[in-house]
Amino acid sequence: MSQQEPAASDAALEREVAGMIVEALNLEISADEIKAEEALYGDDGLGLDSIDILEVALVVSKRYGFQLKADSEDNFRIFSSLRSLAGHIAAKRTK
Amino acid sequence: MSSLPLLPPAPAGHVLALHAGRAISQDEFLAQVLALAAALPAGRPLLNLCNDRYHFALGLFAAIAHGNLSLLPNSTAPENIAALHAAHPDLLCLSDQQEPPFGLPTLRITAPEIATATPAMPQIPPEQVVACVFTSGSTGQPQPHIKTFGRLFACAQAEARRIWATTGGPCAVLGTVPFQHMYGLESTVLLPIFGGGILCGERPFFPADVASALADLPAPRFLVTTPFHLRNLLDAEIALPPLAALLSATAPLATELATRAEAQLGAPLLEIYGSTETGQIATRRTTAGPDWALFEGLSLEQEGDYTWADGAFLEQRQQLGDVLELLDESRFRLIGRHADMINIAGKRSSLAYLNHILCKLPGVRDAAFCLPDESEAGRLAAFVVAPGLSAAAINSALRPYLDPLFLPRPLVFLDSLPRNATGKIPAAELQALIEQHLKPQESRRSAPGLSSPPRGAQHDR
Repeated sequence: MSQQEPAASDAALEREVAGMIVEALNLEISADEIKAEEALYGDDGLGLDSIDILEVALVVSKRYGFQLKADSEDNFRIFSSLRSLAGHIAAKRTK
Repeated sequence: MSSLPLLPPAPAGHVLALHAGRAISQDEFLAQVLALAAALPAGRPLLNLCNDRYHFALGLFAAIAHGNLSLLPNSTAPENIAALHAAHPDLLCLSDQQEPPFGLPTLRITAPEIATATPAMPQIPPEQVVACVFTSGSTGQPQPHIKTFGRLFACAQAEARRIWATTGGPCAVLGTVPFQHMYGLESTVLLPIFGGGILCGERPFFPADVASALADLPAPRFLVTTPFHLRNLLDAEIALPPLAALLSATAPLATELATRAEAQLGAPLLEIYGSTETGQIATRRTTAGPDWALFEGLSLEQEGDYTWADGAFLEQRQQLGDVLELLDESRFRLIGRHADMINIAGKRSSLAYLNHILCKLPGVRDAAFCLPDESEAGRLAAFVVAPGLSAAAINSALRPYLDPLFLPRPLVFLDSLPRNATGKIPAAELQALIEQHLKPQESRRSAPGLSSPPRGAQHDR
């Protein structure tokens, strides 16, 4: 469903998810400062850690109606960037 | 003292572990351990960085069987590993990853299927030093704590006796906590192996992963977690298979959270108390009241503000890091903490160490970490005097030294810190800073039975 939506709505979802991350983690930046391609997790970019990821995953599950599952090799691959996370949400969301 | 078997006697065919969907018997585990032990170079200390709990256990037991010391660092931040390597130039890393971690000399751990007859059980002298567990210390120099085989074995058996009494017998043990730290090591690796339970190789991350990993285990199931992971799991409101019990540690658990966990999961929640120095020594059922019950054979003694533990598996008496009130020979209450220890989601550091690292960054004139919300084991914050530096610059300068869980958020920039004549930040002053700069952001919950000053106060410069 959402996968075929036009780029404008992808961008809108990315902004929505960025806002959700900022709010869930009390980040001291504005959502606009999270760039779509920048890393969310790890030493670069936003620099989220494992407990941040769990907090974000909880909010994602509530808002979009699905539970995140770890990739067998890399728990955090869908958190590699805002775009990757938003794309995952678009593909899996039930609400 | 006479020697101990590497693994306690078990009935024929005893399943010791579940790994990657396969049941592994004690005999097969032993065969894999002995095969790996034969590949270990004599005398070299090992840094076991395996991500998979089963691989970690293979490495640990092979090291014990072959007489190699396992080093368990307090942090895997790059500078910390570099310092460990400098202190132990012949260190060999054990890893289950493709790339050698930190570019260290590495032996890759796999778990080859081995069909075998019953191998001979190695006999281990109880006084053999098998592990060196580091705590962060206060001056940037990690403090080593030596663990003998006899002590780890006896402590895990004492824990097993206590926990299996609640669960009705040995369980399959699943953990969400890192096993390179004492809590995870004792409760997710040594408890099942020395206590006749089943070790589970997985370390599930998201709540849905916890649910599916539990579903793959036979009953009775035992879940080892932390207040942070537990709250996240409960908030996800997903169905879990029946549990025999849950275990929490590393931070005070709010009674409200314990009550909710027991209601939602239909199983008793035990809290375990211990330290890197002593190992685990007591449990309580949080919903039954504030009293802790010491493991059998241990005793506590009060000297001024300090409490010492002795007996059972402790070769000599050990000072505890917390303020305890002794109720009788086997029960106590936890009154407060001696300052300094910080535990987040199963990883441990100390305020003194964190402050030391932050204060020595170029451009930082003064700084103090604090833990504004003790009961949630929430994120650390820091007050910092660093004209011209940004929060991003400070955080990236901290990263080589600290596990990301300990990075401060927020970093509050001030013109100066309210230190008194002796250079300490009084508790009231720190609390005022927290109220002023940190409190409005999130909901507050009170810590159970702890009315201590905010963590971070009274830091000596």
